[in-house]
Amino acid sequence: MDLRETPGQAAFRAEAREWLAANVPSEPLPSFDTEAGFTAHRAWERRLADGRWSAVSWPEKYGGRGADYIHWLIFEEEYYRSGAPGRVNQNGIFLLGPTIMEVGTDAQKDRFLPTMASSEIVWAQAWSEPNAGSDLAGIRAKATRDGDDWILNGQKIWASRAVWADWCFGIFRTDPTAERHRGLTFILCPLDLPGITVRPIAQLDGDTGFAEIFFDDVRVPVENTLGGVDKGWHVAMATAGFERGVSLRSPARFTEAANRLVHLWRTYADPSDTALADAVTDAWMQAEGYRLHTYQTVTGMLEGRPIGAEASLNKIFWSEMDVRIHEIALQILGPEAERMEGPFERWVDGFLFSLSGPIYAGTNEIQRNIIADRVLQLPKGM
Amino acid sequence: MKFSFTDDQRLFAEGLRDLLSNECPPSLVRHTWENGVGHAPELWSKLGDMGVLGLLVPESDGGMGSDAVDAVLLFQELGRAAVPGPVLEHMAVGAPALASKHPGVVDGSTVITVHLDDSPYVAHAHVADLIVERDGVRSGFTVTDVHGIDGARRIASVDGGTISTLGDSSRLDGAFDLMALATSAYLIGLGERMIEIAAEYARQREQFGKPIGSFQAVKHLMSDALLKVEFAKAPTYRAAWSLANGEPTASRDVSMAKALASEAAYRSSRGSMQVHGGIGYTWEADLQLFMKKAWALSRAYGDATWHRRRVSSAVLAS
Repeated sequence: MDLRETPGQAAFRAEAREWLAANVPSEPLPSFDTEAGFTAHRAWERRLADGRWSAVSWPEKYGGRGADYIHWLIFEEEYYRSGAPGRVNQNGIFLLGPTIMEVGTDAQKDRFLPTMASSEIVWAQAWSEPNAGSDLAGIRAKATRDGDDWILNGQKIWASRAVWADWCFGIFRTDPTAERHRGLTFILCPLDLPGITVRPIAQLDGDTGFAEIFFDDVRVPVENTLGGVDKGWHVAMATAGFERGVSLRSPARFTEAANRLVHLWRTYADPSDTALADAVTDAWMQAEGYRLHTYQTVTGMLEGRPIGAEASLNKIFWSEMDVRIHEIALQILGPEAERMEGPFERWVDGFLFSLSGPIYAGTNEIQRNIIADRVLQLPKGM
Repeated sequence: MKFSFTDDQRLFAEGLRDLLSNECPPSLVRHTWENGVGHAPELWSKLGDMGVLGLLVPESDGGMGSDAVDAVLLFQELGRAAVPGPVLEHMAVGAPALASKHPGVVDGSTVITVHLDDSPYVAHAHVADLIVERDGVRSGFTVTDVHGIDGARRIASVDGGTISTLGDSSRLDGAFDLMALATSAYLIGLGERMIEIAAEYARQREQFGKPIGSFQAVKHLMSDALLKVEFAKAPTYRAAWSLANGEPTASRDVSMAKALASEAAYRSSRGSMQVHGGIGYTWEADLQLFMKKAWALSRAYGDATWHRRRVSSAVLAS
């Protein structure tokens, strides 16, 4: 065990910090869940990619730096410390990208990864359906084989970024006779094809961060299948592991929020309120604990111990911690917590966004079931 | 940056787990309650033979010369088995401090406990030859038993005797923090074990025609307890590293570990007891041996609130 950075890691950190200081926009970009914001964030991603910072853990030939996960965590720490914009293509770069690298063909890697790293193509996730949410295996949208094409029909919902995204990655039923988890296929599909209708959904904050996608005889080539016909559940679980585990929610986001919370406490809180001081300290410890836990997980991955169902523990932990950090901030803000714009906008917005955490990427109740079944070995059943 | 244990460290911990699964079953822990000793001398000797008791003793004094990182997984294993007696006090503080004058600490023939806080009671005093205190080493004392909650961690008032100063007082630097660290890791082991005991029970016990472990209310209760324990581990291992390397944040890091581990073990005790239903409220169930240890140790060497405040003073001060 050695928790110090190596000289190489420290140099990498310094390089990232320097680049970010020179390149991060001085004013925050508008929300990427607005049209103008989406465009501005795509331009920012392009700039990141030009500096080879958009996907540092990817191989160089796909636009990355071939960095290991420790370097990736270091980059994330610097990224959030710098106040850089949110990642509009996170569903692509952090979820689909690693999945393609794990199960995709070489041709698919060459075709999809470079344009993903540069955000020339921004990706939306199209998994949930009106009747397949927590019960994801109840997917009904179907893909029917017609020669060298799939014909897609059905409806997806809660597709993040789908309003302005270019492509989506979806799961479709390809064998209507198969039971639930079987007979599903992971298919990549452009969102501008004939037969596709995208209907925006306003989220809790009023922006259209997600959408419904209707497929009406949409034709895509069979080569857009990722990971094999009828193997979609297996592929989706690999993606979900990334999502719930380390990649989508790196600890830097939360340590940065916890540090901002400490700053907020120092600036505005009554220090004689020991209960509040304890709460702020507890939030800081949670964020620090998550950071340490992630470094431990990542070291294990580098040493050949892959993350499994424990990813579900991470998902519960970060999502509940994020809510807690924001609840405490709003408590400190008092009457200002009611105001949707102004100097504390980020805390109020952040509170609303934090509330989605325990729901998306598999609700925390589903995660608790997974932990009970797969880690604690409790019997299946509801 | 490498946040993992070496193969040697893991193997030593596995070896200790094997030893304890044979030599320290719950029946032994219960026996130490019932015979009023709260200590298991035969097991103690075996821990001495294995090198566990002298792990942190310098090699020049006959020990293994290991550091807190080497020790932390062992403390956790000791907790999994709820090893009775002053094993943490002896290993973490007593033996390293006194080995140069009392070589018997390494094989365990001399037994040490500690009194490093303001508690009116001293744990394990009745089985200890010497007590390491903040200002020296007490010997020749008399002990008045107090009825404590954990029969394998007996507490007492201590009177009289003489206090001699340590020849090398630097050997007590960080003693309190090491005790808190050792206790944190032991609490994590206790928490893990209580969850395992409850999971086993939930697989067997049937109601409504099904194992109760198939019900979501039970699953979620247990998943939440596991979450607390799992997320106390990395902070505890980091605290061990900080102590071993003399990091300036060592005290803060230990306090973070002790606060999280104390709460995790307590949460595990409550969840595990609830899963057991009425059986969990009996003297007969072995769960109590682990729960009561967790309740005692979650307060020993600073409770969660005390340690959280120590983190607070490090983090909130600008």
